[in-house]
Amino acid sequence: MTKFMRQTVVIARRDFIAIVFTPTFLIFLLAPLLMIGFGAVGGMGAARMAEGGADRSRIVALVEPATAARMAQIDGRMRAIYRRAEMPPALESRAPGRDPAAAARALFEDDRIEVAAVLYGPLDHPTILHGPKGERTAAYLGELAEQTLLAARAGAGDPVSQPILSEYRRSSATDTGRQAAGFGAVFVMFFLTLLLAGQSVGMLAEERANKVIEILAAAVPLEAVFLGKLLGMYGVAILFITFWGTLMSQALAFMPDSGQTLIAIAPAIGTPAFLALFLAYFTLAFLLLGAVFLGVGAQASSMREIQMLSLPITMFQVGMFALASAAANNPDATIATIARVFPFSSPFAMAARAATDHGLAPHMLALAWQLIWVGITITLSSRLFRRGVLRSGGSLIPAWARRRSA
Amino acid sequence: MTHSLAIKATGLVKDFGGRRAVDHVDMAVPAGTIYGVLGPNGAGKTTTLRMLLGIIDPDAGERLVLGHTAPRAVSARVGYLPEERGLYPAMKARDAIAFMGALRGLSWATGRVRGAEMLEAAGLGHAVDQKIRKLSKGMAQLVQLLGSMVHRPDLLVLDEPFSGLDPVNQERLETLIRGERDRGATILFSTHVMGHAQRLCDRLTIIAGGRHRFEGTVMDARATLPMRAHFVPRPGDEAVRALLPPGAAAAGDGFDFTVPEEGIEPLLVRMIGQGHGIAGLSIERPSLHDAFVRLVNAADADDRETAK
Repeated sequence: MTKFMRQTVVIARRDFIAIVFTPTFLIFLLAPLLMIGFGAVGGMGAARMAEGGADRSRIVALVEPATAARMAQIDGRMRAIYRRAEMPPALESRAPGRDPAAAARALFEDDRIEVAAVLYGPLDHPTILHGPKGERTAAYLGELAEQTLLAARAGAGDPVSQPILSEYRRSSATDTGRQAAGFGAVFVMFFLTLLLAGQSVGMLAEERANKVIEILAAAVPLEAVFLGKLLGMYGVAILFITFWGTLMSQALAFMPDSGQTLIAIAPAIGTPAFLALFLAYFTLAFLLLGAVFLGVGAQASSMREIQMLSLPITMFQVGMFALASAAANNPDATIATIARVFPFSSPFAMAARAATDHGLAPHMLALAWQLIWVGITITLSSRLFRRGVLRSGGSLIPAWARRRSA
Repeated sequence: MTHSLAIKATGLVKDFGGRRAVDHVDMAVPAGTIYGVLGPNGAGKTTTLRMLLGIIDPDAGERLVLGHTAPRAVSARVGYLPEERGLYPAMKARDAIAFMGALRGLSWATGRVRGAEMLEAAGLGHAVDQKIRKLSKGMAQLVQLLGSMVHRPDLLVLDEPFSGLDPVNQERLETLIRGERDRGATILFSTHVMGHAQRLCDRLTIIAGGRHRFEGTVMDARATLPMRAHFVPRPGDEAVRALLPPGAAAAGDGFDFTVPEEGIEPLLVRMIGQGHGIAGLSIERPSLHDAFVRLVNAADADDRETAK
C-alpha cells in the first residue's frame, strides 16, 4: 500500500468507527423504517380518505326505469375493465321528473349526495352535466349511454362475445421494462446519494471545531484527509445499503409475482453485470457528489453555515437526478448524451444505460472518466480548503500540472 | 554543514491579506538540540512553524527540513503539538495516541502498546482507557504531546507547549522534552514564557514583528545586555555615590548600576583607594527575560522608525 493510501485508510478507519459505534448511527440506520412507517400510516390515512370520498361520489342517470336496468347491466360490464383506483363513481339512476335539467342542477346543490356527473335527456342525444375536472367521468357516462342505446337497438342485454382469457409470461424483458429498470436505477441511486453523500457536507466540521485539522494537515496531505473522510462515510453507506438491501431482497422474495416482475425489467447487460455496475456507479456518484459537498462544507465556519448549505446541496442533487431521469426516459436524445458526459450526472445516467444497452465498453470508459473527476474534485476541494481555511498560498493547480506547463 | 542541521530556513516570507506575518526569517536548527523560537504574541512564531511543517507554504524563501525541501516528505519523522490543542473527545487516551502515530506511519497495534506504556511512564496509567472528554485539560494536553512522540520522531515541533499547564505538568513536560533530546531528537518549540526557554533551550531565535531579531545560545542572548551590579556602601558613607557610574540608582540598601565597559574592577580600586568600604556587592548577568524585553522593544522602535 502506498503511503498516501495508508494515510487515507487511517482517516477512513477513524471516521468509520467514530460514526458506526455510536447510538446515533442506530437511529440513522433505522431512519428509513421510521420513514416507511410514517409513509404507511400517512398513505393508509390518505387512502381511507380517498376511499371515503369515492364511496360517497356518484354519477347519476335521470332515465326511465327500463333504461335504468339496462344501463346498470352495461355499467357492470364496463366497470370490470377498470382497476379499483381508476374506477368511475358508482352509478345511480333516478326518474327524470318533469324538468330533468332543473333536477340535474338540484342534484349538484344537494349536500346529501356528492355528484360527479348527471346524465339526462334522450340517450341518442343526452346532456351530461359535470363538475369541474369531471370531463372523464362525463365521458364515461356518455359511453355508457352509447352502449346502453346500442344494446337496446340490438335487443340484447347479454354480451355477444365470450372471450377466453389465458395468461402468457414472457421469458425476456421488454424495452419498456428495461427503461423502467433504468429509471429505477437512477431513482434508487439518487435516493441513496441524497441520504448518504449529503452527510459529507459537515464531515470536516468536527475537525475544525476540535482543532484536530491542524494535526491532520501537518501529518498527511489534505487530499488524503478528504479522500479518507469520504471513504469512511462510504463504508457507512455500504453498511447501510447491505442492511437494507438484505431486508428488501427478503421482502421481495415474499411478494407475489416478484420473479415475473424481475424478468420483465431484466437489464440488457445482464443482472450480475448490472448489479456490479450499479455498485461501481453508486461508488463514483457518492465520491463525486460527496467530494463536492465535503469541499463546500469545509469552507463553512459554523454549523449554521453548514445547515444553510443543505438546501443548495439538495437542489444540486435533484438537478442531477432530473438530468439523469431525462436520459433514462430518452436514451437516444441529446440530453442523454449530456447527462452521460457531465461528470456529476454521469454515474446516474450510465447506470440507466446499463439497463437498456448491451455494450460493456462505454461503461469502462465512463468509470475511468468519473474516476478522473473524483481525483480532480478532491484535489480542488482540498486546495480550496488549504487556501481558504488554512490560509496557505498554495496554487490551485496540482504540482504535476504546473511542472508540465513550466 | 547542512547535514548537521535538522532545519534550515532562509528568507521565509508569508503574507496574509496584505499584512506581512513573517518577513524574511532565517533559522538554522542543529540536530539533536532543543531550539526555542521566542517572540511576543503575534510575532509570527506559529506561522513560521506551520511553514516549516508544510501546513502552509511560504510566499518566498526556502526551507530544508531533515534534509528535504518538502516537509511532508518526512512527516513520518516529525512530531507536532499545535498551539491550539486538538483531540477527538470520544477517543480513548491510548487510541488517540495510536491514531496520531498511525498518521505518521506507525501501526495501530504498536501505537496502542506504546501509548499505554507512555501514559504509564508519564503518570497517567489510570487514564489509558479513559475517553479524552473525561480528562482534565492538562492531562489531555499531555496525551496529545505523547501522541506527537509515539512514533519516535527525529524532529519534534511544539507550539507553545506549556500554555495552560499547571506547574506540576509543566515540570513533567520539561522532563519529557529533555528525554526526547537525550534520545537524539531535535526539539523545536515556541514560547513567550522565558523561564522555560532559559531552562531548556540549547539555542534560540527571537522573532518580533514577523522578523528575525536574534539567534544564538541563551548566554548569547543574555550577553546582549551589559551586566548589572548592586553595590551596598558602608552605613553613612554618602560620599561614595559620587564615584558610581552616572546611571546608578538607589535601590534598597544600596545602588543599582550597569557594569561599565571596562569592568567593575577599576571602580572598586578607585573606591578602596579613596578609603571607601564595601558592605556588599553583587554582579548579575541579565536574565533571558531582560534580554528578550530589550530586543523586542528595540525591534518595535526600529519598526516604528521604518514605518515613518
